[in-house]
Amino acid sequence: MNATLLSPDKSSAGTPAAPPAPAFRREMEGDGICHLIFDQPGSSANVFSMAALNDLWKELEALQSTPGLRGIILRSVKPDIFCAGADLQSFRSLSEDVLREFVLLGQRVFSAFAALPVKKVAAIHGACVGGGFELTLACDVRIATDASATKIGLPETNLGILPGWGGCTRLPRLIGLPAALSVILPGAIHPARKARKLGMVDEVVPREHLLRTALRHVNGPPVRRQGHWLTNNALSAIFIARKVRQDLMKKSGGHYPAPFVALNVAVKGLRGSVEESLTREREGIMELAASPKTRHLMNVFLHREKIRRGSSRGEGKSIRNVAVIGAGVMGAGIAQWIAAKGCRVLLQDVNDAALGKGMERIRKLLKDGVKRGHFRPAEAKAALDRITPCSAEVPLHRMDLVIEAAVEDPAIKRKLFEKLSARVGPNTILATNTSALSIGDMLDSPRLVGMHFFNPVHRMPLVEIVRPDHADPAVVNTVADFARRIGKLPVIVADRPGFVVNRILMPYLMLAGELVADGMPPGELDAAMKKFGMPMGPMRLLDEVGLDVALHVGRTLAAAYPDRMSVPPVLAEMVAAGKLGKKSGSGFYQYPKGGPDPADHYHSDEKWRGAALRAAERLARIMSTEAARCLEDRVADSAEDIDFAMIAGTGYPAFRGGPLTYSGVITTGVHAEST
Amino acid sequence: MKSMVVIDGVRTPFCRAGSSLASLSAADLGHHVVTALLARTGLDPEIVDHTIFGCVCQPAETANIARVIALRSGVPESVPAVTVQRNCASGLEAVTSACEKAAAGGEVFIVGGTESMSNVPLLFPQSASAKFLRLSKAKSFLQKLKAFAGFRPSDFKPISALLLGLTDSFVNMNMGETAELLARDFGISGKDQDRFAMESHLRAAAAKERLAEEIAPVFTTKGTVDADNGVRPDSSEEALAKLRPAFDKANGSVTPGNSSQISDGAVALLLMTEDRAAQLGLKPLGRILNWAWTGCDPKRMGLGPAGAITAAGVDPAEADIVEINEAFAVQVLAVLEKLGNKIPRDRLNVNGGAIALGHPVGASGARLVLTALKELNRRGARRALVSLCIGGGQGGALWLERI
Repeated sequence: MNATLLSPDKSSAGTPAAPPAPAFRREMEGDGICHLIFDQPGSSANVFSMAALNDLWKELEALQSTPGLRGIILRSVKPDIFCAGADLQSFRSLSEDVLREFVLLGQRVFSAFAALPVKKVAAIHGACVGGGFELTLACDVRIATDASATKIGLPETNLGILPGWGGCTRLPRLIGLPAALSVILPGAIHPARKARKLGMVDEVVPREHLLRTALRHVNGPPVRRQGHWLTNNALSAIFIARKVRQDLMKKSGGHYPAPFVALNVAVKGLRGSVEESLTREREGIMELAASPKTRHLMNVFLHREKIRRGSSRGEGKSIRNVAVIGAGVMGAGIAQWIAAKGCRVLLQDVNDAALGKGMERIRKLLKDGVKRGHFRPAEAKAALDRITPCSAEVPLHRMDLVIEAAVEDPAIKRKLFEKLSARVGPNTILATNTSALSIGDMLDSPRLVGMHFFNPVHRMPLVEIVRPDHADPAVVNTVADFARRIGKLPVIVADRPGFVVNRILMPYLMLAGELVADGMPPGELDAAMKKFGMPMGPMRLLDEVGLDVALHVGRTLAAAYPDRMSVPPVLAEMVAAGKLGKKSGSGFYQYPKGGPDPADHYHSDEKWRGAALRAAERLARIMSTEAARCLEDRVADSAEDIDFAMIAGTGYPAFRGGPLTYSGVITTGVHAEST
Repeated sequence: MKSMVVIDGVRTPFCRAGSSLASLSAADLGHHVVTALLARTGLDPEIVDHTIFGCVCQPAETANIARVIALRSGVPESVPAVTVQRNCASGLEAVTSACEKAAAGGEVFIVGGTESMSNVPLLFPQSASAKFLRLSKAKSFLQKLKAFAGFRPSDFKPISALLLGLTDSFVNMNMGETAELLARDFGISGKDQDRFAMESHLRAAAAKERLAEEIAPVFTTKGTVDADNGVRPDSSEEALAKLRPAFDKANGSVTPGNSSQISDGAVALLLMTEDRAAQLGLKPLGRILNWAWTGCDPKRMGLGPAGAITAAGVDPAEADIVEINEAFAVQVLAVLEKLGNKIPRDRLNVNGGAIALGHPVGASGARLVLTALKELNRRGARRALVSLCIGGGQGGALWLERI
């Protein structure tokens, strides 16, 4: 069971099947072989609604009484979707009783499919996730195409639920408990080859050979698979579960219940009947679905998908040649990311020494990417090939986009843009990676926008697309589309100091600085904010960002909003003393060379605990208050955009839905209508 | 024939083999100069008609290295690429090849040369490769053991492909030995050779700033490389005289000090028809006037330029700038004498030559064109002559003109 990654189906799971054309159809191929085809009418995606499940049920009944049936090939005819799982839009709106019925129906239909006494082969091309993959788990064999559109996995836990149509039950039995948990718990979606490696599919073939291969398996002997007695026995399972639980706790701080519930269901499901385990899956889903955390996670997920899809895809001109001005941390990070996504990048800086450092940083990022399995070595090499470092003032007329990532100094940026605008072509788009400065002040041109990437670029999905008041809307759309194309999530914001993320984050950091100046130990405050769900406490974050940088942004914002923002003196004092944070070895924490992360080893003192928790509440509130002001000032187009920007840009806890959800400004979601 | 012009060019620093650029392959070096050329000129690679690169020791992993360089540099897949090989003049062959292709219809060419002499491989003897093949085909343990037992210590003695490349198999003479022959033929002393070599170093040292205009710095894992590293500003005849002859130990005069250096480097030039350049509003460095390729005695391959310059038909005295590749000091001196000493030393290799800068064999020809054109423009002079000797007994000469 799970969420659609695509536009919602028109039919609602709550209403009885109304559409005349069914979602499934059968095509008999001679010789007792039937193609069971998932083809949702009027949609480019296949998703499971109540109606689609009923359609499948009808086809299964027909198949049960088909004489001479030997095998079934399950497939989709959509261009790049096998099945995107359960219809999340309708899932969200179901009442508790209907939801239980929906989950149960899916389980029954899939079990009935599994029980058909003929060979069943899933021929997978395109996205096969959540309920889609669970349906294939009811087959005897799974074949996948090697196309890049083919992605296989169980993303349910990212929505705060668990795979409830047999995923927690059948996958551990098929591929062994450790491998299954590596998919289920993080909500992983893998390309075909990785899925093959894990055993999720049995064979990966070019698309042209998909049906031929499926047919061979229908007629051929059963696939021989490795046994899993070594990991799936009772004793091993206990140890695996204990270790995995510890890891989960360490990673999430226990804020996200879904992986824990899924873990229990999966481990218990190794023993006893499938039926019993499916009951546990059902109970797990119902328990999780009732939680507000799940509601928030689904909202965030749906908004993320909305941003990923965008509204103007394909309208703007395509961006292929990009110049990045400035080879510092941000410039190098942006150049690396864009080049890895296939653009050619001209990396410019004032001198070769700066370029040398930038290229070194880029090489390291690519090397790490290979080590982490994000790219293959050949892809990293190709990405590096696409970057041309050059310190000379070469022509930029051929560039589609120029991204400025130089020093955060309005005077320097003004001068730079004056020069740049003379070097570029008439259609070149100019962008600045400023994190807080006013863009309108840099250059008066409808072709200039803000493109605020977050550090580290390769890990932070958010890009604030800053729309100055006189910007050409087509330019803004083109840049937002470009951000999507390179795998980032753009939120369009107005050209107001600090935009959304820094404007909300700064009062929080400044207040935290004040609290520490007043005597609160940084470790206590950080621990309390981590408990709230932030990935890193404010003091540690200040050290990470650099106190000089924070002071600069803080002053910019304090000047813009003098009524409510001020920079605590402690910050300037520390900067003056050379305590710049991690980069200088000392900030709110000490960073001995090669030593452990100090914030991780702080032992909380009982006497501070109450005060720290109250402080954390104050800190969370100050973010929500500023977020409400952003909404009021129309800095972003919607409250959801603001919440999402904070989650994707700062790691604000997704289970809390964002600062506006936290303060009750946003209240829609699962069961919201019915409760 | 259409008039062809050189718009601009760029090169890597030339570095001694095994030094700063050793970690880069010939394709890496070629990619670096082509992307730098595209960046400097702002040229849209879509309008390129052909990529032509010279490379003498083409690496086994990049057969038709020009194609690999072009694709890696963002030249569209639809644009063809060819690698040319005329030994030490491969980089010049790329230039004349472009002119010939222009006659058949093309207009815009990326040409150049690349060589990573650091990465020329060591080879196994033929006897060993047959045994390796047998070993790979062996299935059973016994067969494997038997195949393995067939190896002899001599099978593992590597052969330097670089050494093979610098040896003329037809006359069975090393390039250095052909230089010694010229020293004997023309009675050129070691002292004269050393003086020439010293001048090359001192000129190159003095020209450091000027040469930097040709260079696109390379950002390697070990740091930024932005200058040629073979130049010895403190070179002296005394120091050079101390070096021992390398090819005729008893009576010879050709030493490592008065021979070209074995180097890594690459050069890229943007060539197009004069009409196309005008249409694009580009200001060329100069025009290609004519050229000649000639053959000569392989044992005296160093005399190649004399024949080629004569065949090119213009009196070398008319050249304001002359670049004769310094494979060996003695070979350049012999060429000058053969041509009747018409080329004054103050017009020849004014910014130093391969003895100081190095001789990445596939790239040198293109560098001479680039260096000559830049110097013509610097001096506001009119004509330049570029020439190289070629292992195997050939010469190439090319005339350039400032527009």
